[in-house]
Amino acid sequence: MSEAANLDRKAWKGVMVFAESHEGRFEPVTFELIGKARELADKTGQDVICVAVGHPLSDITGDLLHYPVDRVLAYDAPEFQHFVAGVYAAALEDAVLLERPSVVLIGATPVGRSLAPRVAVRFRTGLTADCTVLDIRPNGDLVQTRPAFGGNIMATIVTRNARPQMATVRHKVMPRAERLEAPRGALLPKSIAAPQALAGFTRHLAAVRVKSETSLPKAESISDAKVIVACGRGIRAKEDLQMFEELADRLGGVLAGSRPLVEKGWLPAARQVGQSGRTVRPDLYIACGISGAIQHVAGMSGSTTVVAINQDKDAPIFETANYALVGDMYEIVGELLKTGGA
Amino acid sequence: MKIVALMKQVPGTSDVAIDPERGTLRREGVAVKTNPYDLHALEAALDVRDKLTDGSTVSVVSMGPPQAEAVIRESYWMGADGGALMTDRAFAGADTLATAFALSQALKKQGFDLIVAGMQSTDGDTAQVGPGVAEFLGIPHVSYVRSIDAVRPDRIEVTADLGDRYLSQEVQLPCLITVTKDINQPRLPSFRKRKETAGRAVDIVKAADLPPSDEQHLGLAGSPTRVEKIFPPKRERVREVWEGPSVELAGRLATLLKEVLEP
Amino acid sequence: MVLKMSAGGFARCTAKDLDELRGICGDDAVIAGGPLLEDYTHDEMVAVRSYPDGVVFPKDTEQVSRVMQFASSRHIAVTPRGAGTGLCGGAVPVEGGIVLCLSRMSAILEIDRENLTATVESGVMLMSIHQAVEAQGFLYAPDPGEKTATIGGNVNTNAGGMRAIKYGVTRDNIRGLEVVMPSGEVLEMGGKHAKNSTGYSLMSSFIGSEGTLGIVTRATLKLFPLPRQTLSLLVPFNSLGDAIRTVPRILATGILPQSIEFAEKGVIEASERYLGKRFPHASAPSYLLLRVDGNSPAEVSSAMDLVGDACLTAGAVDVLIADSPERQSAIWDGRAAFLAALKSGNEVDECDVVLPRNRIAELVEYTKEVSVAVGVRIESFGHAGDGNLHIYVLRDGMSTGDWERKLPKAMDLLYEKGDALGGLVSGEHGIGLAKRKYMARNLSAGELALMLRLKKTFDPEGILNPGKVVLESS
Repeated sequence: MSEAANLDRKAWKGVMVFAESHEGRFEPVTFELIGKARELADKTGQDVICVAVGHPLSDITGDLLHYPVDRVLAYDAPEFQHFVAGVYAAALEDAVLLERPSVVLIGATPVGRSLAPRVAVRFRTGLTADCTVLDIRPNGDLVQTRPAFGGNIMATIVTRNARPQMATVRHKVMPRAERLEAPRGALLPKSIAAPQALAGFTRHLAAVRVKSETSLPKAESISDAKVIVACGRGIRAKEDLQMFEELADRLGGVLAGSRPLVEKGWLPAARQVGQSGRTVRPDLYIACGISGAIQHVAGMSGSTTVVAINQDKDAPIFETANYALVGDMYEIVGELLKTGGA
Repeated sequence: MKIVALMKQVPGTSDVAIDPERGTLRREGVAVKTNPYDLHALEAALDVRDKLTDGSTVSVVSMGPPQAEAVIRESYWMGADGGALMTDRAFAGADTLATAFALSQALKKQGFDLIVAGMQSTDGDTAQVGPGVAEFLGIPHVSYVRSIDAVRPDRIEVTADLGDRYLSQEVQLPCLITVTKDINQPRLPSFRKRKETAGRAVDIVKAADLPPSDEQHLGLAGSPTRVEKIFPPKRERVREVWEGPSVELAGRLATLLKEVLEP
Repeated sequence: MVLKMSAGGFARCTAKDLDELRGICGDDAVIAGGPLLEDYTHDEMVAVRSYPDGVVFPKDTEQVSRVMQFASSRHIAVTPRGAGTGLCGGAVPVEGGIVLCLSRMSAILEIDRENLTATVESGVMLMSIHQAVEAQGFLYAPDPGEKTATIGGNVNTNAGGMRAIKYGVTRDNIRGLEVVMPSGEVLEMGGKHAKNSTGYSLMSSFIGSEGTLGIVTRATLKLFPLPRQTLSLLVPFNSLGDAIRTVPRILATGILPQSIEFAEKGVIEASERYLGKRFPHASAPSYLLLRVDGNSPAEVSSAMDLVGDACLTAGAVDVLIADSPERQSAIWDGRAAFLAALKSGNEVDECDVVLPRNRIAELVEYTKEVSVAVGVRIESFGHAGDGNLHIYVLRDGMSTGDWERKLPKAMDLLYEKGDALGGLVSGEHGIGLAKRKYMARNLSAGELALMLRLKKTFDPEGILNPGKVVLESS
């Protein structure tokens, strides 16, 4: 730990946000972190500092100034083109040494969760993973609440005697900061300057060589899909599946179906939800014209959010749905596609 | 090559109860198991060893109460060559920083070329200990490894799953990787090996056995984070019925989709 | 023009008849057209289809009784149906008429903690029963693969499943039945008694009768205390013969496992492809899959020691231990997908013979000869512990002509061999439509004649599920 019980809280000031980017686009969680950072900073009279690490960044860092930040530190060098944990950690360490922030917020993405622990160890400080609620006390202590045991319990955690207080936050748990018309704050290009950070940077750069980076193809298997649009008996003709496939495409998901469609030969068996083994757990399951036979429901009830469209308001699927849309699936989905709502 | 798998004992189910008076987890009488992700780590380690056929060994390091010896025993039944359990009151109450520190000290003592850990544990879900150990040891790490593509005397090639992309990298040894469930199907413990290894020792590591260090930051005393309270989550299941003209429903659905999916 | 009579001489439902049924069960309880009707033309053996005139969904026993009285008076055929998960065409309304679907009678009426029984309506799904009784610390033991089947369907096929070796089949786990006779008369047989020597066991006649003798409307099930621990073993062998010969040696240890299943490499690989998930071990030619239960970790662990040693002594390559829920699922999820994996994107026909358990290996070896001789792929798996084999003949894109020529040839050979090995045509799926021919060859003339007389006694008009199990001509 940096300091023992007699921590000088005043020596650490500011709320820092790690702005993760990939291929010229900031991870959406970045803007959620900025919103939360602003709120925490305003409560305690501190600045919000964004740290962007990547390459090339010049096209996008300016945009961060349209969000409520006070400074953006941009570490833009060819060595940062791909994510290498030790190399990125050196940049963030450099920024922390420079700013000595009280709080560092990082997105709980695969990159953030790999990066944050290395930086926390460098400062021998506390790191709390996957926070769902963050608040700050007048003395500057960050009150962090997170789920554990697969969400079966919640814990409230503080880091009293070490700084910076580090936390990772998942995407979509905090509201996104509003974009401002006029930019504010300063954009400060940086390169790693602190000797200890530079040493780590050099060492990790020599030890790791990125060979290739491949974007993941859209999930083909319904078991891996994050979004599933599933059709059932409500489909009148095989050709009609096209519009639902279009919806699945636009949502980055896959088309699946209930048993009658597979029996008719309109969908391959591998797309059937609910038979033994074909259990799906997407973030979003949109059931169109599916009555909701128990065999089907058993295969999809683990979905995070279930939207069901059915004309029959007594359809059993509505008992499983978070959002039960009583209406014509053709009209609703047709309208959604036409207006670009999906 | 000295391959080390980091493994942890966790509660057998995630249906944990909270003691309402003490605000702590009820651990008494709860069945335990090996963290499922760590079984993938051990499998990956065994697989590397078996493919090398050069006398490489796999040893397991775990930290926990004395009964966590079961994790080491089980790893013997799966084919590990040796194992150490770090168990001492001084280690108790450690957060991820103090845990990573203690593990790193034990690893320094026993030596390593490749360290493999599960991507996270099912009780803490933090994914922080693996990278933390690597940082304490001053070695590179790769998290979320989904395949080990090549193993050479001085380096390995691995592919990490970053959610929307795969990143393949060549990393110098010694290094640490954490693995996802996609990397393999862990073998089952063998009854035959269980009989063969019944007499094999499990090394017990106490705080006093760790290398001398000016950073004796172990257990609760060495943990910067404090759990102030634990409580059951509020479960709110949204259940709304929407009726109305299709155009209106489509509009509301469009808004909902924007909320639910990434902007 | 709609024919007024079916081929078997039953009356077809008129519009007035359908109104009559609506009068009995309610307007929302009759389907007589529209896309939904198609669902009731077949069961899981999809090769045979026939449209009913109407499907009725009674809510209680009284409605069932009134439907039967009405159907009897009009001489309309009645085909009872649960979830339609049967494999032999038992729920196909071959004479049209009424499909009597019991799915709305799905209440769990009572779980009696003192008598260890559960009383349920016949339309309740097996998975719901398992859930409800397990929540109270009890086990309803029959465990066929299809968990969405109704208990009524299970009673009517005398379903078996994977725990039969230790806990018996459905017949062994039924304490009482309520049955509606074709005349509408309601009989209550048995009850919560653990013993019963009171006259003929009429109740037993209805179990496995596939809806040809009466309509089961309610059942009282036997419960066991739920074992607190289970542990599974996956045992690789160098040959199927080695695996099968090990079964009696396992039983000789004095440990009675819940399940002893066998599987061969080909089926395991098919399920790996189907699930997109690797099985914990797949390099050996043959496997036994075992599950033992008990009330403490020590109890299952000592059972494992005995069974494990017996397997090694008998020549097992190794004995692999699945103790955690994850490890057990890795084995049993794979096992549960065997059938779906073979059926996926293929047409299959099945043979469900049961043999004395020491003869299984011979029949499985013979399937390989048949496969070569007929030129068709055959896969098998099943219950090594109770001698019940599931043999699947797969079409694999064969032309219709070839399929229609080769399939019966293969089936004839398999049943012939099964018969020669002392086997019976069906272990747990029933006879339905598909296996009447083979049953007629398998059973003695005396047995068949007595079955026919029994059918005539229970259902003199022959309106209950006509064309199934027994044939007038047989």
